[in-house]
Formats: sequence, structure tokens, C-alpha cells
Amino acid sequence: MTQISRRGIIAGSAALAAGSGLRARHARAADPVTVWWTQGFYEAENQAVIDAMKAWEKTSGTKVNLTIMNGSDLVSKMIAAMQVGDVPDLVHSVTGDRFLVPRAAWDDKLVDVSDVIDTQRHEFHQTALDNARFYNLSLKKYSYYAVPVKCSTLMEEAWRPMIEDAGFSDSDIPKTQDAYYDFFQVVQEKLRGKGKRVYGLGYSMATKEADSGNLFHAFLVAHGGAGIVLPNGKLNVDDPTVKQAATTALERLTTPYKKGYVPPGAINWGDVDNNNAFFARQIVMTPNATISIAVAQMEKPDQYYKQIITQGMPNGNDGKPVPSILGVSPCFIPKGAKNIDGAKALLTSFIQPDNLNKYLKETRARYLPVMMSNIKNDPYWQDPADPHRSVAVEAGLIRPSMAWWMTYNPAYSAVLSEQIWSQAEANVTQKNMTAEQAMEEAVGRIKAIFERFQIA
Amino acid sequence: MSAGSRARFDRRITDAGVAVVSVVLIVWSIVPLYNMVRVSLQEKEDVLSSSVFPTTLTLNAFRTALHESYWLLANFWHQMGTSFYIGITVAFLTLAIGTLTSFTIGRMRIRQGWMLTNAALLTYMIPMSFLAIPFYSIMGKYGLTDNPLAVIAVEVTFATPYAIFIFKQYGASIPHELDEAARIDGASPPQIFLRIYLPLMAPALVAIGTYALLLSWNEYLYAFLLLSSDANITVPVGLGKFLNSDEAPWNYLMAAAIIYALPPMAIYYTVRRKMSSGLTMGGVKG
Repeated sequence: MTQISRRGIIAGSAALAAGSGLRARHARAADPVTVWWTQGFYEAENQAVIDAMKAWEKTSGTKVNLTIMNGSDLVSKMIAAMQVGDVPDLVHSVTGDRFLVPRAAWDDKLVDVSDVIDTQRHEFHQTALDNARFYNLSLKKYSYYAVPVKCSTLMEEAWRPMIEDAGFSDSDIPKTQDAYYDFFQVVQEKLRGKGKRVYGLGYSMATKEADSGNLFHAFLVAHGGAGIVLPNGKLNVDDPTVKQAATTALERLTTPYKKGYVPPGAINWGDVDNNNAFFARQIVMTPNATISIAVAQMEKPDQYYKQIITQGMPNGNDGKPVPSILGVSPCFIPKGAKNIDGAKALLTSFIQPDNLNKYLKETRARYLPVMMSNIKNDPYWQDPADPHRSVAVEAGLIRPSMAWWMTYNPAYSAVLSEQIWSQAEANVTQKNMTAEQAMEEAVGRIKAIFERFQIA
Repeated sequence: MSAGSRARFDRRITDAGVAVVSVVLIVWSIVPLYNMVRVSLQEKEDVLSSSVFPTTLTLNAFRTALHESYWLLANFWHQMGTSFYIGITVAFLTLAIGTLTSFTIGRMRIRQGWMLTNAALLTYMIPMSFLAIPFYSIMGKYGLTDNPLAVIAVEVTFATPYAIFIFKQYGASIPHELDEAARIDGASPPQIFLRIYLPLMAPALVAIGTYALLLSWNEYLYAFLLLSSDANITVPVGLGKFLNSDEAPWNYLMAAAIIYALPPMAIYYTVRRKMSSGLTMGGVKG
């Protein structure tokens, strides 16, 4: 009786397993294209990509399985997916140029998309294109493993009513690096004098996500540290100019924090938190990687057109323009994708200048175009009536710009992932290290990382 | 001071200390919940204000969540359905596998049955998060990524060892004479299982069923990793999308979270008596 029952249980289990539909998956050439896309900050961004995919489905007759997920989730899932080899056909990750693509290209886990780039090579902004070129260790060469679809650079957002409340106007805002940020400390003092509990500077200083890294590196470049990695991929961190720039950047970011000009919570801010603090009018200004702060208030014309000021990064202390670090939000195709041809066809269509321009406009232009023809041919981008968009275009695409250092050596992607410089800031603000000590510790860690990424 | 006065004084000091600690713990526990409710009753523009008490109260956030009239809540009820589907299926499968296993080991006395119980418990030596990538790989090979069945399989895997352990311990309190009497009356093992074993296991079934349901209801890591499309994600994964916006719709997030917390609260308070007796039974036997 016992044996019969045991067999019955085993048979039941087998039936349950069979009934649950477990079976190995086999890819077919005619499979739809599976796309993972970073979720937008507002609905229009998501709708724009949904519309673009639907349009391509109509023209190509190929189905697109689009999944939209938030930025950090997408990065985590992609890392897991690439590890096990069960990947989507096409991915768009807003921070992919920093955290995903460089090391995936190094590890030969991405499909070379030079052929897709070639269809529009002459259209791309050169810095945007530079940001899509990475080193593949297996093949021992640089190539294009990402296709830029939009780009951004650090901007400054400020509340005009607060500046006016402090007795100043736009024209009083200085144009050079140190004076610019010192000005907002004065604004804070004036507002505090009126009993208003606000902070002058909304610096992101957390050891997570992208904003704090963007800010530190903008300061690094502004103080002369652009040569931290050389174009041949070699680390140049022992150059005294670079060391001095890193120390000064750390000092200039941490001193206002310690003096109370930055909200104490800024050391825990995620990428949206400076935006939220800005909207709550807890801070007078904040550096932000896109003009999303203004764009999110587009339905409130008073705020969009009158109250929020957008400016590019200030000039260097010598009065000369500082190159802006242009980041691109790339699309890429992971190796192991089941429908590479479909993904390439979709991408080739998506980056046709008119399609890309339409998509970016539908997203309300939070990001900048990567093609100069979009800027030249469509007055939308430099509309003088818009107080934010044209400023962003000028700052990111017309003024001098430079690519992130991951394009020279993917080790810098690990530097960003490990938040080495944000950790150095924390060492100054939380552990009372001097800026120089924190810089030396960071340099030691960076050297160790670069040891693992030797370019032949 | 006499010994009696001294004792009374000490008792008062102790009582006062207990009262202070209790108040601190109560405030510590309630403040997050209070904030959750406070934010859910405010307008979007007011949620970042630093005032402890809201100046104006509104049910707008709850209306928005109920009517799915905010873009990040567009699939809220569908996601709620998925959460229910996963939770109930996990609870059912955990109970089915757990009771059958404990019955087989405990009542049918299979050889080396203890090894199965111990091996199952050994699985708790490995934290859930460590197995995320292996599970992702397995589900990918079976074509189950972005399929709720994958999450169900994972959750059942994690809930079952504990279920087997509790059922085994609880089942030991049911006299074997009942089985023997039933056998003499001609009952087959399935009949003994269904008509004697299961009814007497009711408190443990309620406890483990609720445990399995809550485990999957609150699960984020595997639901996030294994499910992708809006059509398949659960409410916790859907709410995770709120943490990626330039706006601050925390009032909608909190309202949705409160609505999502209601079913498990209702289940818990309905069955809590049986649940506690079922769980404590496992602790004193064996």
C-alpha cells in the first residue's frame, strides 16, 4: 500500500511538472525583437518610445516586445541576463555608457554595431560618437559597441524668485567657476537673514547613482583634471596637475557641505532627490545632468518660463570655457540575442535623423540630440522663446565638449561604479580626512582598478 | 528606607523604565506608518513639506490609485491580480507539497525519511539573494523568464522546507492509533491523508498557508528579476517604478502601498489565532 502511494506521489509530481509547461525554449529566425528600455522620468518619455516601436512594427511587420523598467533595475537585470546568457535583443540604458557598456564590450559580450553607426556616421556629433567606441580585450581593438541616441551634460538649475528675494538678479550671477558657486552661498545667507530655511547649493554627494559622479567630474575638469586618463588608455593620475585638480574639486564640493550650504541629506541623495529638493524649494540651485527639472514643470508656464533658470556650467576661473563632459544614452545589442538582425534593423531605422528627432521632441527634449542636423534643421532646438532647451544645446553641443574616460579605458567605468570619488567626498565630510588624504586614497584605489584593465 | 519601601521604589523605577522604553518603541514603530498615512492624505505638492501634521487632507491619492488615473498606476489592478495569483498559488503548492511530504515521512515511515527533512532545512543555510542568478539562469533555460510561474516556482522552493519542518513536528502530535484504526476500517493512505491527517492539521495549515502567502506577497527581488513586462509584474515591482521620477508623487505611492497592505492584514487578523497556535506547536515538539 505504501509503495503504491509513493509511486502515486511521484507520478503526480511528474504530471504537475508536465502540466506546468516546462520545456526548453528554441529561438527562431522570425522571433519578435525583444527590447528593454529605461523608464522615463515622466509619461511623455515612455509614450515616445512606445510610439516609435509601434511605428516600426507597422513598417517592418516585425513585432516588438517592449519592456520599460527603471534605470537602476535595468542595469541590475542586464548584468544578471548577460551572466546567464538569456538576454534581450536590444537595450537602451540611460546610464549604460557609464555602468554597462564599457566593461561588457571589454568582455566581448556585446555585438559590434559599427555597421549601424555607419548608416549615419556623418550625422553624429563627434563627441557623442566618441562615447560609443570601446575596447574589446578579446579582439584587442576599439570599435563601436553602442549607438548613441541621445546625450546630456551637466547643467545648472536655479530658482529666480529666490535669487530676487535675496536682492539679486540674473545678471548678478558670476560667470566663473568658484565665484559662481560662492554666489549661491551668499544668496543662502541673505535668505536665512530673512528667516527662510533654505540651502544655497543642491550638490548631489551620495555614493550611489550618477549625479554625484557627474558633479565631481565637472569640477575635476573645471580645475584642470581632464587628463586623468590618456587617449591611449593609460592612467595619468600621478600627473601633479591632475592630483591638484582632484584635491581642489574635493575641497570645493565638501567645504560648502561642512559649512552648511548644502542640505545634510545630500550625502544620501539618489538621482531624483536633488530634483525633489529643488521642487520643494529647499535649495536655491542644483547641478543636474539634463534639463529634466524644468521640463517636468512644462505644464506650469509660470515656473517653466519665468521662475526656473537653466545655465550651462560656468567658465573656468581663468574665464575660459571649460569642456563639458558629454554623456550619451546608448542602445546596444548583447551577444546571445536571439534576433540580432531584427535588432539592427530596428536600430538603423530608429536613428534616422527624422525618426530620432521626432522621438526626442516627443520626450519633451529632456535629452539633447546626438545629430547636429537635428539642431540645424529644426528651429525647435534653438527656439529663443524657450529659456532652457537652447541653453542646453549651447552647453552640450555647441561649446567645447569631451567624452567620458571609459571610452579610453573601461577601468574608469569601474571607478564610477565603485563611486571612488563620491567615497572620497564622504571621507572628507564624514571621516574628517583632508581633501588631499581623501584624494590619495582614491588614487590608490583607482590604480588598483586600472591594473585589471591593461590595454595592449 | 525600609525593605518594603525600597522594593516598592525599585518596582516603580522599573515600571517607569519599562514605560519609557515602551513609549519609545511605540513611537519608533508608529512614526513610519503615520508618515505613510499622512503622505497618502496629502496633495502631491505638499508631500515634501516638513510639517508633522498635514494642513489639508484629501483622499485624492486613493481615488487616483483606485481609478488607475496616474501613469505609473495604469496597471495597478492587473498587478494586484498577479500578486494574488502568485500568492495564492504559492500558498496552495506549499501546502500541497509540505503536507504530502510530511505525511509520507511521518506517517508512512519511509526509510531515511529524516534525511529529506534535514536536507530541506539545510537549504536555509544559503541566503535567498545568493540564489538569484542561478534561478535566473534556470528559468531562462526553461523559457520561464517574464512568466509568473517562475516566481511561483522560486517562492515554493523557499517556503516548502519550513512547511515540511512545521508539518512534520505538528504531525507528530497526532496519535498514530488514529491511522491504525482507520486502516482496520479499510481506509487507504489517501483517505487517511484527506479525512484524518489534513483536518487535524488545520492550525498548521493556516499558519503555513499564511506564511507562504505573505512571503510571496512581499517578495521583491525575484519578482523584479524574473518578471519584466507590465502585464506580468507584481505590485511591489510596479511601485518600484515610482522611485525613478523627477516628480514626487509619493502620495500616490503611499496610497497604493496602503491598499496593497490591506489584503494580508485582513488575512492575518482573520487567522491569527490559528496561526500562532500552528507556529508555536512546531516549536515545542520534536
